[in-house]
Parts: sequence; structure tokens; C-alpha cells
Amino acid sequence: MLKTDFKKLILGIVFLVVFAAAPAFLPEAYVYLVGMMFLFLILVISWDVIVGYTGQVNLGHTVFVGLGAYTAALMQVPSRFEGSVDFLAGMPQAPIPVSILAGGIVAGFFGLAIGIITLRLKGFYFSLVTAILPLVFLKSVFVFSDIFGGEEGFSIGLERSLAGDVTLRYYYAFVIFLISFVIIYFIVNSRIGLRFRAVRDDEDLAESIGVNVVRYKILSFVISSFFAGIGGAAIVHYRITIGPDLYDIPLMLLIILSAVIGGLGTLYGPLFGGIVIYLMKSWWLRSLLPSIPEWLPINDDVILYAILIAVGVLAPEGIWGRVREMLRERAEAESPQST
Amino acid sequence: MIDIAVRIIVYGAVVGGIWALVASGFSLIFGVARILNFAHGIFFILAAYLGIVLAKSGVNPYLATLISILFVGGFAVAIYTGLLARIKEHEVMVIIVTLAIALLVEQILIIIFGEHGISYPALISGVLRIGKTPITYKRILAFVVAVVVLALLELFIHKTRTGKMIMASSQNYEGALLVGINVDRIFIITMFLSAVLAGIGGVLYTQVFAASPAASLKALIFAFAIVILGGLGSIKGSIVAAFIIGYIITITNQFLGAQWAEFAALLVIIAILVFKPTGLFGVEE
Repeated sequence: MLKTDFKKLILGIVFLVVFAAAPAFLPEAYVYLVGMMFLFLILVISWDVIVGYTGQVNLGHTVFVGLGAYTAALMQVPSRFEGSVDFLAGMPQAPIPVSILAGGIVAGFFGLAIGIITLRLKGFYFSLVTAILPLVFLKSVFVFSDIFGGEEGFSIGLERSLAGDVTLRYYYAFVIFLISFVIIYFIVNSRIGLRFRAVRDDEDLAESIGVNVVRYKILSFVISSFFAGIGGAAIVHYRITIGPDLYDIPLMLLIILSAVIGGLGTLYGPLFGGIVIYLMKSWWLRSLLPSIPEWLPINDDVILYAILIAVGVLAPEGIWGRVREMLRERAEAESPQST
Repeated sequence: MIDIAVRIIVYGAVVGGIWALVASGFSLIFGVARILNFAHGIFFILAAYLGIVLAKSGVNPYLATLISILFVGGFAVAIYTGLLARIKEHEVMVIIVTLAIALLVEQILIIIFGEHGISYPALISGVLRIGKTPITYKRILAFVVAVVVLALLELFIHKTRTGKMIMASSQNYEGALLVGINVDRIFIITMFLSAVLAGIGGVLYTQVFAASPAASLKALIFAFAIVILGGLGSIKGSIVAAFIIGYIITITNQFLGAQWAEFAALLVIIAILVFKPTGLFGVEE
């Protein structure tokens, strides 16, 4: 036990050092990209809390990302409410930490409402409802385009970004990610996290030993939504613009793909999956695409969906889990006495 | 005033009939194999696009329709045996994989055909007038075909041996296995039927409205709303609920505008889940 903890510690320190030093070596455009990746990782690990740890398939995580994002953006540009919700238009511009927190809180409360309605029911209602939510919220951006800015979205202005300097902004994103990760880490490894897993593994058994199943499902969902909102709000302050892409399904699939490849319910797996998938989508796929013949109906999304289907069918427990299992089997085969 | 009433009554029945086909297919495969098929919408839209392409390349529109409906049935069987049968026990993965299939197909359709709507070759033309309200024969055809197909489905399930096996498998998986029903074969037949129902719905829908890649997700949303209202897994519930939802959509379109249809569907779902979660004909799990 101590040995694996030591290994984890070393890995963690390497991770910290590499990413803390990265801006010194990377060109500025890549620094920007990796910073964005940290915020994306918040979305992935927060999704893992409800789906991987608690076993409830949330297909509408981007709704909470988008809610956090639009909340933060509108708190920076309250004048967009003019002519529709006038009493909000006079709101003073909020300090950045307040607007990020508010994004999380609004998303968390919405999660609470949806959770109370759907999670008290057994079965598939939660997945069905969360699957519909992104489409409805996407629609709302266009229907109320005076406020939300429609397809193009709107900008909150460079002076409201996390920091004017790209490198400094990178470190802010890194710190927001680390704080979120540490909090989520402690939650899922606490007694609460243990109950989440009990609910996932056997609902009836959990109920019979006195775990209030519904309450823990809702709690897990609220925590997950809160961090999705934090991530969304932080993204707005990172890239300065807001648009419907934060609600949209390609982002949802990217989150699902990262977590599934890494292995659900492991936190490290989705983290690793998120890094691989985000960098792959941003670098490798872009450079691969021109080599695909024109006549094939393939773009980067198609490739990602195909990968997701393949991983889902061939390695439902995640590639990370598969690899770990293979390594363990090999180690056991080599030294049968030591176990 | 009477014009509006006539229009709502007729249009609502047409829309309800089409969605009843789509939703009963969705309900069928869920009830029998416990597969929550997020890819159901692609059978709806693929049948329409394939029919359009075939008809444009000179195939007789009726033959093109038949081929494309059978094709989506075969496609569904391929998806089931190739992918879903392997992960059926893994509920989370079934949901994720079927959603990924749905988005993959939608994305490919967008690349090939663009996001704009194109309409299905006319299987029938002409207009009937009730008072001042024009009603195209296409709409009447859609309604009649939907009702006939649903009646045939009902007959098939209750009167034929295969239909009874399907019912038995949906009521009790182990029991069906014990009395010697080849449940795997039943699942494949059900998958085929489910996709064919969606395919017919897609052809009828795009006759009246238009085919666009986004329509597959729209079909999925309405199918969700319908099965939740009707009760998950109940075909009778789906059919009744489809007409209720059909009228809600038509009234929303008439008085608020088409962009509110999704909001209306969501509101219905939330209201049912709050007040009567088992739906109209659902059974407590």
C-alpha cells in the first residue's frame, strides 16, 4: 500500500514539475492551448464523479458547463440584459473570482433541481432527461439571442480575462485545475465517496445497509455540476469569449471520450484520457486531416466518434484499466511467489 | 377560427401518427432487449436520405422507399450483432456507444448533404380542402400509412407466433429462455422491426416536412418525451402518448412558433416526471 502511494506521489510531483515548467519551453500558442486543456480536465474529472463513481449516466454535462459560462459572462457584461430583464442590467461588474464561483453555484443549483426531479426515480429517466437538456439550452441561446448572443456569442473584453499575459493566464488555469482536482480527490476518497461507489455497485445493498441512495446520488450530481460550472466560467475568463459551443454535443462527446478511454471511476484514468484526447484533437488530428482524401466523408469529429465506439465496445473498462491489468498480470506471471 | 381548429386537428393527427411509429419502435427494443437506443433517430433519418438519393438516381420512388426502409432494418441488425450484443450487460456503455453512433452518422450526413433540409420525392400529390384549410394528400397519406402500420404491428405482436415470442421475451427474459425461445434471435428480429418503424416514420416525416441531419436528434427528443409520457416499454402507451405530444407540438407551432417545440417537449417530460413518473401506461419497476 505504502509503495503504491509512494509511486503516486512521484507521479504527481513529475506531473506538477513538468506542467509548471512547460511555459518556459513551449511557444506561446501552445502555452495557451495547454492552459485551456487544464480547464477541460476539470470538466472531465467532474463528469467522472457522477458517472464513474456514482454510476448515473449524465449525458448533459455541457449544460452545466454552459450555465456556468453564461452566468460568468453575463456578470461581466450585465448590459446585455437591457431591454429584456432590466433590473439585472444595472448589476455592477463582479470581480473575477466571484463570477467564477457564481458560475459554479448556478450550475450546482440547477443540478440540484434536475437531480431532485430525475434521480429519485430508478432506471433510465436521468439519462433521458440529461440527454435532452443540451439541445434545449442550445435552442435558448438562439431564441434569446439579445441576451445570449446567438451563434456568435459575445466577448467579455480582454480586461476581464484571468490575466492579460498568456503565461500568467496559464498559471491561473493550472491553479484552478489543481484546486478543483484536490477537492474532488478528497471527496471521492472520503466516506462520502465510498457511499457513491456503494450506490454504483449495488443500489439495493447500499439501501439495505442504511445509505440514503437518492440523497447521495443527488449530492454527487450537485458536486459534479458545481465543478462543471466552475470549469465553464473559468473557460470564459480564459478565452474571453462565450458561445453556444460550450453547450454543444461535440464538447460533451469529447468529455465522454476522455473519461471512457481513461476508465470510468478512477479519476487518474479520466485525467490521463483528458490530456491525451485534448492534445490529440488540438494537434495531431489537425495535422492528420489534410492527408484524408477529399471524397471520404470524414472530419475530426467523425474520427473521435469512431474511436469512442471502438473503445466502448472493445475495452469498456477503459484503455488505462486494460493496460494496468495487463501489466499486473505480467508481473504476477513473472514472480508468482511475491503475491 | 374554425380554420385554425381544423388545421390543428388534422396536422396534429398527422404529426402524432408519424411520431407514434418512431416512438413505438424505440419502445419496442427497450421493452424487449432493455436497450436504450440513442441511435434510434438515425434509422429515421437514414431511411429518408437513402430514399432521396435512390429516387434522384432514377429509381422508382416507391421502390426506393421500400429499399431504404429494408436497408435501415438491416443496418440496425448489423449494429446490434456487431456492437451492441457484445456490451448488452454494460448499460452505461450501451448508452454511450449508441449516442456515439447517432452523432457519427449525423456528422457524416452533414458532411455529405449539408445542414439544410431537402425534401423527399413526392409519393403522392394533390390537395384536399376542408373549408379554407388546404390539406395535402401527402399528409393524408402519412396519417393513413401510420395507422395501418401500427395496426399491423398490433396484429403481428398479438396474433403471430413470433410476435408472441417477442412479448414473452419482453415480459420475462429467463422465462422465455426456459420455454425454449431463442431470445437472441428475438432480439435481432425486434431490432429490425424497431428500425423499420423508425424508417417508415422518417420517410413519412420528410414527405411532409424536410430531411435535415438535425432531424435525427429531434426525432430522438420527441421519442423520449413520448415514451416517458406513455410509460417506458409500453407500446400502447407510446401510441397514445404520440398523439398527445403530436397535438402539443402542433399547438405550440401554431401559437408560439416552431422554435419552441423542444421547450414544450422538455416541459411535458418534467411535468410527467414530477407528477406521474410511471407515465400513462407504465409499470412500476
